[in-house]
Amino acid sequence: MPSLKDIKTQINSVGSTRKITSAMKMVAASKLRRSQEKAEAARPYSSRLEEMLASLASSAASGEGIVKLLTGTGNDQNYVVVPVSADRGLCGGFNSSINKETFRLVKSLEDDGKNVQLMPVGKKSRDFFNRVMKDKILDSFADLNVSVNGYDAALQVSNKLQELYFDGKFDKCIIVFNKFKSAISQEVTQQQLIPLDVSNSSKEENVDDSAAKAIYDYEPDEETILKDLLPKNVSIQIFKVLLESDAGEHGARMAAMDNATRNAGEMIDSLTLKYNRTRQAFITKELIEIISGAESI
Amino acid sequence: MATISFDLVSPENLIFNDEVGMIIVPGKDGDFGVLPGHSKVMSSLRPGRVMVYGDGKNLLKSFFVSGGFAEVNPEKCIVLAESVDEVNALDKSSIEKEIQELSGQENDMAKEQLGIAKAKIDAIDSNFYEKV
Repeated sequence: MPSLKDIKTQINSVGSTRKITSAMKMVAASKLRRSQEKAEAARPYSSRLEEMLASLASSAASGEGIVKLLTGTGNDQNYVVVPVSADRGLCGGFNSSINKETFRLVKSLEDDGKNVQLMPVGKKSRDFFNRVMKDKILDSFADLNVSVNGYDAALQVSNKLQELYFDGKFDKCIIVFNKFKSAISQEVTQQQLIPLDVSNSSKEENVDDSAAKAIYDYEPDEETILKDLLPKNVSIQIFKVLLESDAGEHGARMAAMDNATRNAGEMIDSLTLKYNRTRQAFITKELIEIISGAESI
Repeated sequence: MATISFDLVSPENLIFNDEVGMIIVPGKDGDFGVLPGHSKVMSSLRPGRVMVYGDGKNLLKSFFVSGGFAEVNPEKCIVLAESVDEVNALDKSSIEKEIQELSGQENDMAKEQLGIAKAKIDAIDSNFYEKV
């Protein structure tokens, strides 16, 4: 049976853990708000860019040079998978769900006979894949800190990817990330980054088909604009993913810390009950000793 | 007088969004002015100044963009720029320092940066189009 003092120390230590987790929850909540604002601020740019791209995509019939970002290499053999995780833990299943999903994806691609390489973004996925499939890692990024560095963080990843792509190192790039659904829920999502998947954006485009089809003057010409536009689109897609993942991370941490705080509260309650019971038992025991001692005289 | 709606958007945020009288945009093949009712144009941009004029053709704001795209239709002009600074906020001495650092380097990245930095200096010095 634990002594009263042991229980008291345990209560105190759970109490201070609760203080830490509830502070972390507050911090995550305020960071979440900020990164949500950032994600929203980035939306006009990416949506405009997509619109422009959709109206230009039709002119990209030839598969040479930069246009390959749109049309693909014509092969389907070498894949690069980019898992996007957080740099820090203590956010529930946020990182492990990314790692699990990526692991599953890699296995299933390999079962289809493809060559798969990895380019993890974020410390947690980098460390994980360094342990389990070190030989597949092409490159990795950590401490990108998108909420501070902004667009430059995305450029680092995007430039590296495009460099490798034009060196012919891979044919397709899939990014795996946590899509921000609401403050408390994230959805693990796969998105094909290279070649550009226009199928989903063109669906939206059909709504105002007449506006998209209207004749534009292009300056200098469609091809040159497309050549400028495509690499930027890859960067902006990565930027969007990083921002969503950042917001998701704070949301997940907030939820995890909320749970931890609640658990700590419950634990303190049950420990306090145990403490009182033990104390009561000691008193009873002492009373019995005194009474039985008095009786025996 | 007629106005045209103008958006200046960077990846990080929406920088400018208002009804204006005229905009001058640094197109890849040369600057062009956009007035209300302009025909539909899509253009890529070179590093340079995007100048925004009010209703009476008074200069409202002057931005430096490092490149990007412009989409123009009769009611609206949208500039998507990768990095945007207000020309007044640029610091000439620090840019000149940057130019010195970059001018020794040979790779493509540095050359591109150098071009942008030089264009920044031009933007600060230039007083073209300040009165129209």
